Amino acid sequence: MEFAVVGSEEFVLGFRLAGVRRVYTAQPEEMEAKVLELINDTSIGILAVNANELTKIGPNTRRRMMGNISPVVIPVGGEEGDLREKVKSAIGVDLYKTERD
Amino acid sequence: MAAREVKPTRSELLEIKKRIKLTKSGYKILKMKRDGLIIEFFKILEQAKEVRMKITKDYELAMGKIATANAVDGTIAVKSAAFALRLHPEITLRSKNIMGLVVPEIETNSIKSTIDQRGYGVIGTSTHIDDATAAFESLVETLVQAAEIETTMKKLLDEIEKTKRRVNALEYKVIPELEAAESFIELRLEEMERENTFRLKRIKDKAGAREVETAS
Repeated sequence: MEFAVVGSEEFVLGFRLAGVRRVYTAQPEEMEAKVLELINDTSIGILAVNANELTKIGPNTRRRMMGNISPVVIPVGGEEGDLREKVKSAIGVDLYKTERD
Repeated sequence: MAAREVKPTRSELLEIKKRIKLTKSGYKILKMKRDGLIIEFFKILEQAKEVRMKITKDYELAMGKIATANAVDGTIAVKSAAFALRLHPEITLRSKNIMGLVVPEIETNSIKSTIDQRGYGVIGTSTHIDDATAAFESLVETLVQAAEIETTMKKLLDEIEKTKRRVNALEYKVIPELEAAESFIELRLEEMERENTFRLKRIKDKAGAREVETAS
């Protein structure tokens, strides 16, 4: 299984440098379609995305993305977003709360 | 049961008593499972928070290095280095078992490479490109770690929620309904017993009165 990355040119270039083969460029408008396509590819084990480039993705796709197992989608550079919500709902306490909040 | 009629018989009562016993012990076990899952979850939570922070740090570092490389060597040099043929990270997925839950164990072949394994020539590139490469390799490794940890956490959370719901369903619906049925039957049986006793008494009294009549 492979490591893949999708995002803007600047984002993915560094990964290509590190040897990642499955590199896909996409502008924020194209991200949703590309992500959906890659989620269905089971030869990918891990899919890295830039958290800041996910703005144009709808809530349904986002939910599918985050719940997917093969590949696992890892947002880079953002905060712990959906995990925090899940923790609140399952445990009942917002465990990600820090003094800053 | 609210949904079905309970027959107030002694055999029903025995059945229900047995069911209550079974349900209560199942309930105890589920509670233990829920608590065990939560303990496992707290162990992973710390790791998850740390790895999230590490991703952000590694990412910022890597972006800085590649910006430097772009500035010093030019984007063309960086791009051609990026397109050079070299080792790529491959992922092997294994599964392990936490409290009965199957979670992934992700391993990679070594992502980190030495300079000669990177495919681009040593002469034509500067250390900045090497630094950027090393920084991104580090980032990829961290991301792989994060993938394992976050998936495990998500699965744990889903299982915790499911188990929690079953525990609550047992505690607030199933067991109280069974106990209500039990006391209903006990009450009815008592009533019928009293009715019987009363009827027998009347018959005995009547039979006694008739005897007295025929005797006199």
